[in-house]
Amino acid sequence: MNHACAIKTENLGRVYQIKRKRGESGPTTLVALEDVNLAVRHGELFGLLGPNGAGKTTLIKILTTLLTPTSGHAFVDGIDVVENPQEVRRRINMVSGGETCGYGLLTVEENLWMFTQFYGLDSKTARERIQSMLEVVGLADRAKTKSYHLSTGMKQKMNFARGFLNDPQILFLDEPTLGLDVQTSRILRDFVKRWVRERPGKTILLTTHYMAEADELCDRVAIIDQGKILACDTPANLKRRLQGASIFKLQTTPLETLDHFGRLPGVSQFVGHRRNGHTELNFILEDENALVKVLDAVQAKGGHLLSLEKREPTLEDVFIHLVGRGLSDETGD
Amino acid sequence: MNNFRREVMVFLRTVRGRAYPRLIGLQREKSWMFFEIFLPLLGTSAFVFIYRALGAKPEFTGFVVLGGAMTAYWMNVLWSMATQFYWEKETGNLALYLIAPTSRMAILLGMALGGMAATTVRALAVLLLGSLVFQVTFTVSNWGALVLVFLLTLVALYGLGMIFASAFLLYGREAWHMANLLQEPVFLLSGFYFPIKSLGFWISAGASLIPITLGLDAMRQILYPQAGWGFLDVGTETTILALLSVVFLIAAHRMLLFLENVARREGRLTVRGQ
Amino acid sequence: MTIPVLQRETWRESLRSLKVATWLGWQIESNWTEPFLFAVYSIAKPVAGAMILVVMYLVVSGGQTNNPLFPYIYLGNAFYIYVGSVLMGISWAVIDDREHYGVLKYIYVSPIHVYFYLLGRGVARTLTGTIAVIITLTFGMLVFKLPVNLLTMNHALFWPVFLIGLAGLALIGILLAGLTLITARHNYFMGEAVAGALYLLCGAVFPLDVLPKSLQYIGLGLPMTYWLEGLRRALIGTSASPLLAPFSNETILIILLGSTLLVGAISLGFYRWCERRAKEKGLIDMQTMY
Repeated sequence: MNHACAIKTENLGRVYQIKRKRGESGPTTLVALEDVNLAVRHGELFGLLGPNGAGKTTLIKILTTLLTPTSGHAFVDGIDVVENPQEVRRRINMVSGGETCGYGLLTVEENLWMFTQFYGLDSKTARERIQSMLEVVGLADRAKTKSYHLSTGMKQKMNFARGFLNDPQILFLDEPTLGLDVQTSRILRDFVKRWVRERPGKTILLTTHYMAEADELCDRVAIIDQGKILACDTPANLKRRLQGASIFKLQTTPLETLDHFGRLPGVSQFVGHRRNGHTELNFILEDENALVKVLDAVQAKGGHLLSLEKREPTLEDVFIHLVGRGLSDETGD
Repeated sequence: MNNFRREVMVFLRTVRGRAYPRLIGLQREKSWMFFEIFLPLLGTSAFVFIYRALGAKPEFTGFVVLGGAMTAYWMNVLWSMATQFYWEKETGNLALYLIAPTSRMAILLGMALGGMAATTVRALAVLLLGSLVFQVTFTVSNWGALVLVFLLTLVALYGLGMIFASAFLLYGREAWHMANLLQEPVFLLSGFYFPIKSLGFWISAGASLIPITLGLDAMRQILYPQAGWGFLDVGTETTILALLSVVFLIAAHRMLLFLENVARREGRLTVRGQ
Repeated sequence: MTIPVLQRETWRESLRSLKVATWLGWQIESNWTEPFLFAVYSIAKPVAGAMILVVMYLVVSGGQTNNPLFPYIYLGNAFYIYVGSVLMGISWAVIDDREHYGVLKYIYVSPIHVYFYLLGRGVARTLTGTIAVIITLTFGMLVFKLPVNLLTMNHALFWPVFLIGLAGLALIGILLAGLTLITARHNYFMGEAVAGALYLLCGAVFPLDVLPKSLQYIGLGLPMTYWLEGLRRALIGTSASPLLAPFSNETILIILLGSTLLVGAISLGFYRWCERRAKEKGLIDMQTMY
C-alpha cells in the first residue's frame, strides 16, 4: 500500500523455448510478451483485453510468481516478483476461469478450508469467510457435497470463491467467467465490482476476451495482442478514439468472398464473418459517404442487404481499429 | 518475533491442511482396504510359499512378512510423494499451492505425514494379518532400538520422497515413468523379500542409499538376532539412517528451492496434459 | 440386408477403436523420452521382478540351480511378466483417461467400442512386456543354463497355449477396468496388485501343491494356472506340479480354452454392470485423487 502502483511492469518480456525433434522444422522460440509497460493503481479494477494467445495468461503467471520473465521487471505492490516472490504471495491470489481446485473426495467446504490453511488463517476466520463466499457464489447448500459430485459450473464457482478467502490486496482474475452461464456471470461480475469498490485499496487485474465484461467492470483497460500492449486507457477514452468515425454493421445474404471490402475507398477497418445463413460485415468508415461504395460492392457480389445498423463504438471496434481484425479471430499461440 | 510466530503458524496450518485430504481419503473411499491390504497380503503370501516350497528356514517367512508390510511405505513415497507434484500440476492444484505464501516444505511435509499415517495403517494390517496367517513369531530383542530404527527409516525415506518430489517438479510424464522404474528394481535392491547381505557387500552398500534397505535389515536383525543374516551391525545401520535423515531433509529443502526456480524460469510449473 | 450392413459398421468401428487405442497407448507409453531410456525402463522393471525370485532361490539353495524347481520358478516368473503388463495396461487406461487426461467422458460419447478401446490401450504394455519376457528367458538360458531348446520345444502346444492365455489375460484386464471404473485411485495400481495376488494362486513360482487345499481349488479354477503349466510343458517338457501332472497336454489346452471363455463371459458382463453403476452414480468423470 505504500507504493504508488499496485502492479507495474517495465519492458517486461517472455520468450518460450520450443523443443523440436531432430529434423523437425519451425521456429525454436515463441515470443509471448514483448516490452510490456503497465502501471495499475491501487484500488483500480484494471482490464487486460486481448484474443486467445495474446499473452494475457503469461503476464498473469509472471505477476503471480509462477513464471519468471526473460527480460524486464515486474512489481506487485512495489515488490519485485523475481527477487522476492514470497512477499508477493502474501498479497495476492488468483482465479483462472474454466478451472477447478482441490480434491474430488473432499467436500466443497473442506477443499476451501484446506486452501485457507496455506494462508495461515485460523479456523474461525476461515469458516466465516468460506460461509460468506459460498453464499456469494450460491453454493451454501452444497457445502457438504463432495466436489466430484458438483457440476462443472459449480466447481468453477468453488474455485472463484477460493480466490477471495485470504482477502488479497491484489487479485488476478484470468477469464473468471469463462464457460459460466449468463446469470452466474452477472452475479460474479457484480460481486467483483462491489468487492473492489467497498474495500479501498484493493486491486483487481482482470483478463478477458469478453468486451462487455471489460467495458462494464474496468476502470481502465489495456489492449494486448501478440504480446504487445497496443493501448491503455479508460473504456470511454478508448472508445473516444473512434469519435468521428462511422461504424456500421451490415447483414447480407451469404457472400463468397469478403477480401475486397477492406480495400474499398473510405473503409478504414473491416471485419467480416460468415454466420448461419448470412454474412456479417463490420466497417469502420472514414465518413458516412463511404457507405454507398460498400453497398455497391455488396450488390456487385450478388448479395442482398438484410439489415444495416449504425453503432456507437465498442471496445471491439477499438480492437479492430488497432489490430485490424476482430477479437474473436484467434491468432493461435 | 510476531513475524516468526506468524510464519510458524502458517507452516503448521499448511502441514495440517495438506495432511487432511490424505487422512480423510481413507474414510471416504473404503475400497483401499481391498486394494492396499488384502491384495498386497496375497502378493506377500506368494513369497512366503516360495520359501516354503524351497524348504527355507522359518525366519524367512518373517523376513517376507516384514518386507511385504514395508512395501506400503515405498509405494506411498513413489506414488503419493514423488509423483504427486506432477499429478497436482496436471489437475491445476500445483499453481495454487505455489502462489500461496507458505513453505513448499510444509506442503510436502503435510503430504508425507498424511501419507505416512495412512500407510502405517496399511503396513500394520499386512504385518498383523501376515503374522497371524503364517504364524510368525517375532522376538523383539530391543524395543527401543526397533522403534528408533523404524522412525529413522521413515524420516529418511520420506526425506528421499521429498527429494524425488522436487526433482520431478521439473518433469512431466517422465516423472511418472521414473517412479515406475523405481518400483521393482528397488524391491530387488533393498531386499524386501530376502536378506540384503545375499547381494554382496558392494551392491548392498550402494543400495543403502535407499533408507528402507538398512531399515529393513536392522529391523530383521532386531527381530531375529540369531539368524545371522545382518549386513552391518544394528548400531552402524542406525547411525547411517540418522545421517541419511538429516542429509535427505536438507537436500530436499535446497533442491526444492533450486528446482522451483528452474521450473519457474523454464515455464514448466504450469505445463499440462503431458 | 440391414443386419449385414450394421455388422459391417460395427466391425469397422471396433477395428477403428482398436487401432486408435493402440496408437494412443503407444504414444503415452513411449513418447516421453529417448528410445534408449525407454528400452531400459521397459526392461529393467520386469527383469528386476524376475531377479527377486532368482535371488530368493539362490539364498535358500546356497547358489545351486540344479533343483528341478529352478526352471519351474524361472519360467513361471518370466511369463508372469505378461500378467502384470496386460492387466495393468488395460485397467490403468481407465484411471489415466478419467483423472489424468480427463478424456474418458469423451471416449464414452464417441462411437468407439469400449472393449476394443481398452484392449488397444493394453497393446503397448504387452509389446514392452514381450521384450522383457524374451530378455528374461535369454538371460536364464545363457546364465542359469535353463534347459530350453527353441528348436526342439513343443511348438504345437506352445503357440495355442500362449495365445489363448494372452487373450484370457486381456479379458481379466477388462474385468479390472470395470472395477477401476467404480473405485477411487489409490497408491497401489489395481492391475499390479491383482497380478501380485494371483501370483499366489496360479502356481506361477511354486507348485500349487504347496498351498492349503482351499487355495488349491481356487488356483485350479484360474486360466493362468493352465497357461503357465502348458507353457512350461511346451518349453521344458516336464512339470514339477504333482497336482497337474495327471492332466495330458490336450486336457491342459482344453481346460485353458474353457476357463478363458468362462472368464471372458464373466469379465464382459461384469464390465457392463460396472459401467451401468458408474453412469448411475455419475462416476465417469470423477476425480478421486487425494
